[in-house]
Amino acid sequence: MSKKHEMARRIPIIVCFVFGLFMLVQFFVPHRLSGAAYETVLDWMQIVFVFTLLVGAISYAKLNVKKVSRTESGWGYNAIGLVGLAVMVILGLWKGTGEETPFLWMFNNVQAPMQSTMFALLAFFVASAAYRGFRARSWEAGLLLVVAIVVMLGRVPLGSFISHWIPDAANWILRTPSMAAKRGIYIGIGLGTISTSLRIILGIERTYLGGK
Amino acid sequence: MKNLQPFAGTYMLRPKLATFCLVFFLLTSTVSAAGLPVKLNAVDTPNDKGESITLTIEGLPQEASEVEYELLRSAVEDNSFQVVEGWSVKDTVFVDDNVENGVEYLYVLKGTEDQDVQFSAVVGPVISRGQWFNTERTNVLLGVAICFLFILGFVLYARRGKKFYVRPIAGLQAVDNAIGRATEMGKPILYSSGLGKMDRVATMASMNILASVAEKTAEYNTPLIFPNYDPVVMATAQEVVFEAYSKAGHPEAFNPDNIFFVTQSQFGYAAAVNGIMTRQLPATNLFFGTFEAEALILAETGNSVGALQIAGTDSTIQLSFFIVACDYTLIGEELFVASGYLTKDPQILGSIKGQDFLKALVVLLILIGGIAGILGWNWFVKLFSIG
Amino acid sequence: MPRQLIFVLIALSVAVPLVIKIGLPNEVTSEVMRVYEEIDRLDSGSVVLVSFDHEASSLPEVKPMALAILRHCFSKDLKVIGLALLAEGTSIGDQVLRETADEYERLYGKDYVFLGFRPQYQAAMLGMGEDIRRVFPEDYSGTPLIRLPMMRKVENYEDVALIVSVADGDMPVWWVDYAVSRYHKRLAVAATAVMATSFYPFLSSGQMIGLLGGLKGAAEYEILIDKPGMGQRGMDAQSVCHLVIVLLVIAGNVGYFMRK
Repeated sequence: MSKKHEMARRIPIIVCFVFGLFMLVQFFVPHRLSGAAYETVLDWMQIVFVFTLLVGAISYAKLNVKKVSRTESGWGYNAIGLVGLAVMVILGLWKGTGEETPFLWMFNNVQAPMQSTMFALLAFFVASAAYRGFRARSWEAGLLLVVAIVVMLGRVPLGSFISHWIPDAANWILRTPSMAAKRGIYIGIGLGTISTSLRIILGIERTYLGGK
Repeated sequence: MKNLQPFAGTYMLRPKLATFCLVFFLLTSTVSAAGLPVKLNAVDTPNDKGESITLTIEGLPQEASEVEYELLRSAVEDNSFQVVEGWSVKDTVFVDDNVENGVEYLYVLKGTEDQDVQFSAVVGPVISRGQWFNTERTNVLLGVAICFLFILGFVLYARRGKKFYVRPIAGLQAVDNAIGRATEMGKPILYSSGLGKMDRVATMASMNILASVAEKTAEYNTPLIFPNYDPVVMATAQEVVFEAYSKAGHPEAFNPDNIFFVTQSQFGYAAAVNGIMTRQLPATNLFFGTFEAEALILAETGNSVGALQIAGTDSTIQLSFFIVACDYTLIGEELFVASGYLTKDPQILGSIKGQDFLKALVVLLILIGGIAGILGWNWFVKLFSIG
Repeated sequence: MPRQLIFVLIALSVAVPLVIKIGLPNEVTSEVMRVYEEIDRLDSGSVVLVSFDHEASSLPEVKPMALAILRHCFSKDLKVIGLALLAEGTSIGDQVLRETADEYERLYGKDYVFLGFRPQYQAAMLGMGEDIRRVFPEDYSGTPLIRLPMMRKVENYEDVALIVSVADGDMPVWWVDYAVSRYHKRLAVAATAVMATSFYPFLSSGQMIGLLGGLKGAAEYEILIDKPGMGQRGMDAQSVCHLVIVLLVIAGNVGYFMRK
């Protein structure tokens, strides 16, 4: 590995170690100096994030322009994507993004309904997944089936209309066994996060550098 | 909210200050000889960045009275008492955060009834300072130290050559078969790391799996398509895949256009990935990372095009959807184990072992906590509160 | 059964009850009641921070919850600080806040402010714990915060009585990690139904003081504040849709056992 490449890998590891350790230590140090340094780091995080948005926009534009210019299969969709990007940017810069602006009109009448429609598709997919997936192939699957039916009915007014036991049972399932299972998974995920974070701070885990 | 523990008694006055206070009282014409029957204490507020003094006042009447009380403060250098804003007679514990660090302050309570004015004993001087260690977080420090010990300990143990066993994880074992399937069918593999940014641990775990997958797709010359939600993840993924292709000896086969940014809108991303699935008809879908509501949409569409699907996420809710709609699912921390599992890196396997021991410790603490709750040992619960 | 038939049945089960009102009664759950009681016990003039942590896609589900909570806040003379930690929540949050404020004739700058969007939500949440003006020097329309009467007395979380996260993702978990654990703030969550179930561990441990889950949560809150809205209207459709899914699951199992 060349010296330049070696340095290119070593510097991010050192930076990661220093800042990782600082953010860990400052949690325990209430002194004004620690607080000031901490607030500065938070400001830097916001600034860096804004520049990453530029990376995304440029990458998106580059790829779609390439596909349109080569008239690759489906290039019309790429052109629509580029037009959408340009229109929203121009509208936002030209007339602003406040009340009664074209930008807000486009957001309220084009983007929001399109996105809500995609979200609404979940209802159909849930129904088809439930129809396919909830088969009582074993006693555990049968138990899951019964619990699913109780919770589905208990979480709507229809459940209490049929019997008050249904919403009571549904609430008990959510507050006790379901909650306990989630808590167990959260604890595992939390420990996994601690372990991975420690590996990253110490430079053992280097995926964020693009591999080994 | 600042922790207002009971404090020690009044500070001892220095001779010069004692003289000042005596003169102050003698010069006040309407002072009653008895003084206010209240006990005033002032200390530097602990565990803070400074600019704060905590006062406790005992002996104030609880019911309504005709006496009007005021809390007065003076910097020793200024020699003039001013009313402290924000204090009311109901406040038996009060935090005065209008002070400067390093300045000596005196406090006194003044009671006025008609023309009669009384004062409590002057307390001080007290100096506000920032602390270098928050003692209320000692338990957190201890917890962090224990985590460090376990994980680092096993990492060092692994460095000495100790081999650790990790149980077979069906989802990860199936990745090889899934890649082989795509190669045989001559169709691409679709990879998605979901909505997470690079600071999410699930996304890092996904990149580890991606490296392993990319190496195999390079060997078999199977197209790998990776639409991205986040531009930084995209840049990282391009690096990871290029390194993997180089490692497999096929850097020329790497196509950066196959790893592209789509949008940072959740359902815009879902729509884009769905479109790719219905047009390109991948044989295998790999979903590893942070997923939210779009998880089922992606998995169902993948199912409808006949793809073999393997998924892993840190989201407990989306796990349920993936379990129903995918062929294999990594549950919870199985995703985080992936890097060690696939690379067999001893240090990473060591840290996974340390994690397991920490989990055993957590289980033990939960059991003790349950018993403590039944027996009413509140002190045990307080051990885990964060200041 | 072909997928397309399932989709048609679901579409009909949602659309028809929206037109033909059924009017099934709703019961209020304790999770929602706790949010209501928390806001109800706040003194007039207390500051509530409402964070619109959602995207446009979940608007039909989160807007009724946001409207109900804001109506309650304004009816109690509470001061509301609105902000967004996801870009798409910005204009939605601004519109919803203005809409409800106008209903109660509340004045901008005196009774409510909207701070706008900040990227990098972790930095924003942590930064507000120290100094809100450092994170948001100006409000959404560019007015310096120091010029807004309401914000002169609000420096950081210490001056905020309650944080409400209106979310469609896992942002409330970050609020717990930062605002609750570090700064000991009280947090109420209004989340989509699919996300709400994952917050029960935090509810149980007291890290979240209450939880509204989806359209049902909105419906329950509307009952408590006695202001019917889209929440209650949507529950009929949701009831019928759930019933149809249950019947489909049962039908699927009957078919499975008959083929066996």
